[in-house]
Amino acid sequence: MNGAAGIPTTVGSNKQDMPKHVFIWLVLAFELLPFYMMIQISMKTNREFNVNQWIPNAPWNWDVENYRYALELVLPYIANTVFVAVTGTVISLFLALMAAYFFARYRMPGGSILWSIFLVLMLMPGVANIVPLFMLIKGMGLMNTLWALILISVAGAQVFAIFVLRNFIEDLPKDLFEAAEMDGASHFQQMLNIVVPMCAPILGTLFILSFLGKWNDFLMPLIILRDPELFTLGVGLIYLDGEYNKDWGRVMASFFVASIPLFIIFLFTMKLFVKGLSAGAVKG
Amino acid sequence: MALPISKRKALAEWKLYLFVVPSLAMILTFSYFPAFSAVYHSFYDWRGGDSKEWVGAENFERAAMDSQLGYAFVVVFILIIANLFKMVPSIAMAVVIHRLKSEKWQYWYRVLLVVPMIVPGLVTLFIWKFFFDPNFGPLNAILDVTGLKAGLIWLDAHLLGWDVFAEGRPIPWLSSPHLIVPSMIIWGFPWIGAVGVLIFLAGLQSIGTDVYEAADLDGVTPFQKFLYIEFPLILTQVRLMLILMMIGTLQGFGLQLLLLGPEGGPSGAGMVPGLYMYNRAFSAGEFGYACAIGMILFVFILVLTFINNKYVRVQK
Repeated sequence: MNGAAGIPTTVGSNKQDMPKHVFIWLVLAFELLPFYMMIQISMKTNREFNVNQWIPNAPWNWDVENYRYALELVLPYIANTVFVAVTGTVISLFLALMAAYFFARYRMPGGSILWSIFLVLMLMPGVANIVPLFMLIKGMGLMNTLWALILISVAGAQVFAIFVLRNFIEDLPKDLFEAAEMDGASHFQQMLNIVVPMCAPILGTLFILSFLGKWNDFLMPLIILRDPELFTLGVGLIYLDGEYNKDWGRVMASFFVASIPLFIIFLFTMKLFVKGLSAGAVKG
Repeated sequence: MALPISKRKALAEWKLYLFVVPSLAMILTFSYFPAFSAVYHSFYDWRGGDSKEWVGAENFERAAMDSQLGYAFVVVFILIIANLFKMVPSIAMAVVIHRLKSEKWQYWYRVLLVVPMIVPGLVTLFIWKFFFDPNFGPLNAILDVTGLKAGLIWLDAHLLGWDVFAEGRPIPWLSSPHLIVPSMIIWGFPWIGAVGVLIFLAGLQSIGTDVYEAADLDGVTPFQKFLYIEFPLILTQVRLMLILMMIGTLQGFGLQLLLLGPEGGPSGAGMVPGLYMYNRAFSAGEFGYACAIGMILFVFILVLTFINNKYVRVQK
C-alpha cells in the first residue's frame, strides 16, 4: 500500500517522522510501566522494596526466593486454568463446527428458525443471567467443580463461533463436497476432511480468542469454586491479592508467573494473535 | 449461501439435524433457561431456597425507589462519559502510527501495543491497584516528586473541600469515598486500548499514500488531515467502539468488585448497577430482587444493542 512496490515515497522523508516516534514511545513507556514495575519488584525482598521501589536490583542481587514461592503457589492454578481453557475451547469449537456445518451445507427445513434461536443470543447481555446460572449450577450439583466452568464457557462461546464458521464454510467451493459425496464420505467425514483443513486459519484465530477469554475469566470461578485445590488463576490471584500483609516481591513474582503461559503462546502465534484480536472486537 | 434442498432429499439427510443438536442443547440449558428463569424470578421474593413467594411487581417498585441503585446508575453514567474521552488517545495513537512512513515500524508498534494484552487482565488490574496504594504506590510517589500534590492540596482547600489531600498524609485513593470515582477515571492511563487501536488502524488502511501527497501539495495542516481525511474514514469503527464501550461499561462490574469488594467500597461510593445486582444476590441473598435489577439492566442494554444494530453497520 505504500507507494509502488515499496519504493520510498518522496513526499516526507523518514526524518520527519521523528516527533511521531517520540510520541509513540512516550505513550508506550506509560503503557508498559506496570509490567516494568511487576518484573523488577518481583526480584526484590520486602526490605529492598521498602528502600527503593523504582530502580531494579543488580542482577547478582536478584531474589530467586520469590519465584520459588510463586511457582509453588501458581503452578496448580495454571494447571487448572489450562485444563478448563483447553477442554472448554476444544469442546466448544467442535460443537460449533458441527452446528456451522449444518447451517452452511443445505437450507434444511426449519434451519432458519434454528438460526434465529442462535442469533438472538447475540443481542442478550450476559449480566442478567449470572444469578440464575449460579442457581442452575447449584441445582445440577456442579458447584465447586471445574466442569461447571467448562460447560458454561462452551455454551457462551457457541453463537459467535457458529456465526463466523458458517460464513467460512459457505464460502468453500461446493464441488469439494460433491466429490467427497461421490466417494461415499459421510457428513462427519466431510466435516473432518474438508472443512477442518480448509478452515484451519480461522479455527486457529477462534481458538486463541476463546482461550484468551477463558484465561481471563474470574467471575464464574469466583462464584462457583470453593476448594483452593480447584482454583483457576482468576480466583487464585484474587485470594493472593486479598492477603492483608503483602510481600510485594512474592505477589509480583506470582503475577509474572501467571503471565508466562500466554506470553509463550504469543511468541508462537503473534500474527494470529494480532489478527484474532481485531476480529474479536468486531463480534460485538 | 447454503444450497437449497428438496423436501425428499432433506428427509434422506435427516442425520444432519444431529449436527446441530449438541450446540442447541448447550444454549437452551445455559443461556435460554437462565434468561427465562431471571424473568420469572424477578416477580418473586426468592431467597435462593425452594420456597419463594409471588410478589408481582414489588421488586421493580422497590428498584425504582432504591436510592443506592439510582446512585449506581449515576456512577455508571459518569464512567460512560469518562470512557468517551478515554477513546481519544486510542484514535490519536492509531492515526500517528498510520502516518509513519516505515511499514516495519508500523508493524512493530502494533506488536508492542498488543503486549499488555497478553498479561492476564487480572494481573494488570492488580498492578494498577498497587499503583494506587497510599503507602507503597507509585502514583503517590509521582505526585510527591513532581509537586503536583501541592496543586491538589490547593484545589482541595479552595474548591473541593473534600479534605483528602493534605501535606504529609498519603492520598487514600481507593479508601476515600470522594476519590473512588476519580480513581476509576484515572484508571488505565494513558488509556490506550490495543483492540481499539488495531480496529482504527484497519479503517485507516484504505487511505492510499497519494491522498496524503495531494494533501501535502495543497498545504493541508496535520489537524485538517485528521478532520477531513482520516476521521471520516474511521467513523464506522469509532461508532462501533463507542457502542461496545457503552454496553461494556453499563454491564461491567469486575473492576469494582475486585477493587472495592461487593459493597462498592467505603459508603458504597463505587457502586455500579451490575455490582449492586451481585451484591443483592450473593451478599444479601435476595435473589429475586437481584433478578429484577438484572432485568432492568437488560432492558437498558437491549435498547443500546438495538440502536447499535440499527445505526451501526459493521462492514465485513
